[in-house]
Amino acid sequence: MLTKFETKSNRVKGLSFHSKRPWILASLHSGVVQLWDYRMGTLIDRFDEHDGPVRGVHFHKSQPLFVSGGDDYKIKVWNYKLHRCLFTLLGHLDYIRTVQFHHENPWIVSASDDHTIRIWNWQSRTCISVLTGHNHYVMCASFHPKEDLVVSASLDQTVRVWDIGALRKKTVSPADDIMRLSQMNTDFFGGVDAVVKYVLEGHDRGVNWASFHPTLPLIVSGADDRQVKIWRMNDTKAWEVDTLRGHMNNVSCVLFHSRQDIIVSNSEDKSIRVWDATKRTGLQTFRREHDRFWILAAHPEINLLAAGHDTGMIVFKLERERPAFSLSGDSLFYVKDRFLRAFEYSTQKDTQLIPIRRPGSNTLNQGPRTLSYSPTENAVLVCSDIDGGSYELYVVPKDSYGRGDMVQEAKRGVGGSAVFVARNRFAVLEKSSNQVLVKNLKNEIVKKSPLPIATDAVFYAGTGNLLCRAEDKVVIFDLQQRIVLGDLQTSFVRYVVWSQDMESVALLSKHSIIIADKKLVHRCTLHETIRVKSGAWDDHGVFIYTTLTHIKYCLPNGDNGIIKTLDVPVYITKIYGNTIFCLDRDGKNRPIIIDSTEYIFKLSLLRKRYDQVMSMIKNSELCGQAMIAYLQQKGFPQVALYFVKDERTRFNLALESGNIEKALESAKKIDEKDHWYRLGVEALRQGNTGIVEYAYQRTKNFERLSFHYLITGNLDKLSKMMKIAEVKNDVMGQFHDALYLGDVRERIKILENAGHLPLAYITASVHGLHDIAERLAGELGDNVPSLPEGRKASLLIPPSPALCAGDWPLLMVSKGIFEGGLDDTGSGAQEDYEEAADADWGEALDIGEVDSIQNGDISMVLEDEHVHEENEEEGGWDLEDLDLPPDADTPKNTQNARSSVFVAPTPGMPVSQIWVQRSSLAAEHAAAGNFDTAMRLLSRQLGIKNFSPLKSLFIDLHMGSQTYLRAFTSAPVISVAVERGWSESASPNVRGPPALVFNFSQLEEKLKVGYKATTAGKFSEALKHFLAILHTIPLIVVETRGEVNEVKELITIVKEYVLGLQMELKRRELKDNPVRQQELAAYFTHCSLQIPHKRLALQNAMTVCFKAQNLSTAAHFARQLLETNPSNENQARTARQVLQAAERNMRDATQLNYDFRNPFVMCGATYVPIYRGQKDVTCPYCSTHFVPAQQGQICNVCDLAVVGSDASGLLCSPSQIR
Amino acid sequence: MAALAGGPDPLFGLRNSFYIGAYQAAINNSEIPNLSPDDVVERDSLVYRSYIALGSYQLVINEIDSSAATPLQAVKLLAWYLSSPENKEMTISSLHEWLEDPAIGNNPVLRLVAGIIFTHEQDYNEALKYTNAGGTMELHALNVQIFLKMHRSDYAEKQLRVMQQIDEDHTLTQLANAWLNLAVGGSKIQEAFLIFQDFSEKYQMTSLILNGKAVCCMHKGEFDEAELLLLEALNKDAKDPETLANLVVCGLHLGKSSSRYLSQLKLSNQDHILVKRASNAEESFDKAVHAFA
Repeated sequence: MLTKFETKSNRVKGLSFHSKRPWILASLHSGVVQLWDYRMGTLIDRFDEHDGPVRGVHFHKSQPLFVSGGDDYKIKVWNYKLHRCLFTLLGHLDYIRTVQFHHENPWIVSASDDHTIRIWNWQSRTCISVLTGHNHYVMCASFHPKEDLVVSASLDQTVRVWDIGALRKKTVSPADDIMRLSQMNTDFFGGVDAVVKYVLEGHDRGVNWASFHPTLPLIVSGADDRQVKIWRMNDTKAWEVDTLRGHMNNVSCVLFHSRQDIIVSNSEDKSIRVWDATKRTGLQTFRREHDRFWILAAHPEINLLAAGHDTGMIVFKLERERPAFSLSGDSLFYVKDRFLRAFEYSTQKDTQLIPIRRPGSNTLNQGPRTLSYSPTENAVLVCSDIDGGSYELYVVPKDSYGRGDMVQEAKRGVGGSAVFVARNRFAVLEKSSNQVLVKNLKNEIVKKSPLPIATDAVFYAGTGNLLCRAEDKVVIFDLQQRIVLGDLQTSFVRYVVWSQDMESVALLSKHSIIIADKKLVHRCTLHETIRVKSGAWDDHGVFIYTTLTHIKYCLPNGDNGIIKTLDVPVYITKIYGNTIFCLDRDGKNRPIIIDSTEYIFKLSLLRKRYDQVMSMIKNSELCGQAMIAYLQQKGFPQVALYFVKDERTRFNLALESGNIEKALESAKKIDEKDHWYRLGVEALRQGNTGIVEYAYQRTKNFERLSFHYLITGNLDKLSKMMKIAEVKNDVMGQFHDALYLGDVRERIKILENAGHLPLAYITASVHGLHDIAERLAGELGDNVPSLPEGRKASLLIPPSPALCAGDWPLLMVSKGIFEGGLDDTGSGAQEDYEEAADADWGEALDIGEVDSIQNGDISMVLEDEHVHEENEEEGGWDLEDLDLPPDADTPKNTQNARSSVFVAPTPGMPVSQIWVQRSSLAAEHAAAGNFDTAMRLLSRQLGIKNFSPLKSLFIDLHMGSQTYLRAFTSAPVISVAVERGWSESASPNVRGPPALVFNFSQLEEKLKVGYKATTAGKFSEALKHFLAILHTIPLIVVETRGEVNEVKELITIVKEYVLGLQMELKRRELKDNPVRQQELAAYFTHCSLQIPHKRLALQNAMTVCFKAQNLSTAAHFARQLLETNPSNENQARTARQVLQAAERNMRDATQLNYDFRNPFVMCGATYVPIYRGQKDVTCPYCSTHFVPAQQGQICNVCDLAVVGSDASGLLCSPSQIR
Repeated sequence: MAALAGGPDPLFGLRNSFYIGAYQAAINNSEIPNLSPDDVVERDSLVYRSYIALGSYQLVINEIDSSAATPLQAVKLLAWYLSSPENKEMTISSLHEWLEDPAIGNNPVLRLVAGIIFTHEQDYNEALKYTNAGGTMELHALNVQIFLKMHRSDYAEKQLRVMQQIDEDHTLTQLANAWLNLAVGGSKIQEAFLIFQDFSEKYQMTSLILNGKAVCCMHKGEFDEAELLLLEALNKDAKDPETLANLVVCGLHLGKSSSRYLSQLKLSNQDHILVKRASNAEESFDKAVHAFA
């Protein structure tokens, strides 16, 4: 049992789940109805209007209503949104035991101690039917979930099933509603709209509870005889099926589980029991120490149950619903029902792999908890809680996906948890001794290693490493080095999710997530009020996780937020861009598309990828107060600026980021004194006098403005200010301005006008304006003030400022990349700043150098000290050396003893020797390095005597037959023989033939190259290629007989070309022998060539003969050329012209040794035709013909074999030998 | 069975780096605090052997003075042997001398060095005389290699079983397993490949590991793949003789010109087995032709 929520209260008598929200109603013996949020664990509301215990309570399926019934005989209908009771239904004459809404009609059924069941219409607020028949308290009554039936249980020891079909018919004809009301009274006793269908007798004591099966025609009941009975019914009758015995006291409530084939009952014996509904055996019992159970409720949609007892209630689940899964590359492996399945993300294909052992049905919660998969071995570890923790190892056969229903015999073992730590190793936690056993795929222990902390589970942490979990911490333990690589204090970690690159790990606890790196260095911690369920890393290093209710993200710095709300809990398995793949509780793979803009944006900001940030600002719809607040908080007011439409916010952000232009823009729009003032302050700070002036003007702050003009030396405006002050009658301002301007007359005038005549007089006289002074003295008369003696007065004129025009040098505001990119203005100014910055850097570097020199000195001093120390140590070492010899004495004897026994094995046979023994193929001998035998073979088979052209081929074959493996450091390398035709199923230790560097396809490629060179007229190059082919063929090995024929064919083709090209080259050498030239050209046409080459040869011969006036022969070639249907129109035209010219004069100027009517072959050495019937000899290899005189010479064409020698023929395939 | 249980091993990383051919890493990470005196000697010998593997023989010869511990002296001897082939008789005679000294003759490092030197001399009987008794994983691994050189994979397999019993997951056991797998061929090639693959996932990629993978690929007939791996290895160490040698072989099979690699190898490492093979082949070809004529 997995308890999800518990309350402490008075005795709970009634319970009801809300169908959509995570709410449960609990009605208490004290008369209170409580509304709880079981997910958050908070009391939402309490309803306290009943007098005495409230025994029945029920939520309406869709309306914000619930109904309650209590010992005050009242049925109350409440609206939980309005927090009040809407109305009360009166009619029962005793305690009310249960109340229930109908699933579609506006009805409530209630059971009461007054022996009746009543059905109420809560819309008309009337009782529409009274079901009488029980002759004791009716303990419960409920509607059938689909049919027009009611089941009731009573202390009269019976369960009754009522047919209310008539009632429904009555309500669907609403025309005579009034009539029905009056009729109701007549039906009141022994009414006909609800009749007893079956009376189920069998319990020996009062029945406390009866309920329908959600889909099958079954009823389950529980009674004071401590028994639970199962009843079946059909259209005509109902009968008892079985009895479940086990409760030690009155059974208070019992119901069928809606999703599993089980029955849940509870009792006053303080236990909840779970029964198998098919086998009718007890599965599990949960006991409480002191509390008798009174009521059970099942959630209508999800797998939750609730039970009420003497001191509160519990909300619980019977089984874990998280499917066990494991991720590997593109595939997800998971367990559904009793099958291991694989889901491929790229194709979204779901395959059933193998059946696995079904957990024994006599226990709950024994299904697979975790999976671990090894991709190379295709092996799966399935861990479950069976036997207090055990694992099963299955190997998935590669080919028989989904076939067969046979459960393969898995390798089993006991252990807290088991995970693969390497391709073919898995670690099993042995809790009792707190050590980990490393096992191989045969389930044999390879290694044992004690764990550094008291561990209750292990997780994968990279190859060879384990993440060990204890109550309050996790450590990463290296199994090979046996050292702790990192540890971290955490709350109890439930799941561990590694990022793809294994650099980051997320540790999921019930209510928190810790992100750490691979050494478990803490990065950030998140706390969630809602249970954390699952998570996965996306490609950008953002951790996406689910809680019960939301999909959320967590950035590397710990910033998190909501991506999406969830209806039902899901388990994230993998993230591909915007698609999140999850498993739901039914084991279905679901892709969920999310909008990743927000977190990608934040991530880009965090990573300072401003280019991305900018493009996102430009292209996507990102806004909202939350984003602005985030940006401000993270110190990016300048970015936030671009999201904001509200001018005040814009203004604030602009000021914050020092963007004075934007602030000015906003200030103009807002146009409020306060904003102008703040703009002025900021502008002054930056030194932007223009804006300062503007701001002062807007705020009509004349004093500041005057002073500003003074400072900036703007005397024109200052004098204007004076005039304004005069107009405004601001004497003091006017005086100030005059003072600033150094305008004495003005000052005097002001003083005079203001009535300060003595002051005006003094001013005038001090500054030597005697005429005015005298005039004033006259006005003052006797009151002329006396001037101090001996002081020389001078006119106070402010010094003119250094800079009069334009702005002052502006304060450097750090302008982000955003402004550069988003504003086109002001980019020039920005460049200046950058230059300045560069200059600074240069200096900084200088400083750094100075530092490093100093450091160097210091370290040198340090080194000196080291040297001293080392010397001292060496003295110590000498002493130890003396001690050493006696220690080492003893083992020497043992070594001697061992070595006397040991006899070194005789060296084995090198692979190359094996090759030689097996083969009669020259190439394989050459590869093995046995050149002499290879030569002998070639000589025997092909009559080859001249090996010098084959030298490099032999050596290449030999070199290519071995690879080099550096094994033990500093020891000589191992050379390893390479074999041909490797396949994964080849058995080891059986030597295959050597791998050869030449193969047939290479020759075919070469042939094409040769053709191309011929076409291009590069004859000597072409000849080289063809000869190379001819030389390689003796060392070719092919597999099939068909290929052997191809090889033989190739010899003929190439031979013809070689011969032809040799003749053509010879012809070109012969400049002064036109007859021989013609002959050779003519012979060339008799070599079997490719059609285009043939055409060229014919054209060539034709031209040569035509030029030599051998028109008849030329005509012959022209005819032949035309017979080939040349595609080249030029060729055809020339041929036709030759033909025409020749026909006019059909004769040859010179006699040629060439009779095309008489079939002949060419001699390969002398290039004379050997006509049919004449004697000839052939080359045993390339089968070129020769005149008999050439017998015993090296073949002129292939340059390998001896003409006319005996040979057994080409052997180039093992298939020829078999 | 000592390996089945035990405390943390401070030299593990260093040893591991050395075995998989990450010599510079071994040298760089040799500053390990709190070592026991024995561990210090082992650490030093590993570091010096790493220098030897990198070809810095003179540094080793200079730094180890006559008062150093036996293992280090043995390492110095190895450096001597490898640095001056012309004086190898002298080196070998002093090696014999030391081996006969009962006080130090049984030192595993000395025996190991003896095994290595005699293997170089192709005197496998003499090498096995000192190494067959085993005692350290390194000696066992060397035994495997010597048996493979003798084409006795049956003995090599027995030796490997011994290693597997001691510690199946030991780096040397895994490596020796891969060597043996390559030598016996067939389906074992794939296993060898997986072993190298595991190493490349677990530890840093070294040219030794890359070469191992490439050799497996070549044996599987996947020469294109092998070439990629070898070029990657060449990027890591442009002078590694095995990389060059294997590139030559690979090039031959791909029909590409590999003469540059060959001449590079000839220049840098004229004693390499491939170079020797090439010159031997030429000689024996000429001899065969001569005999034939």
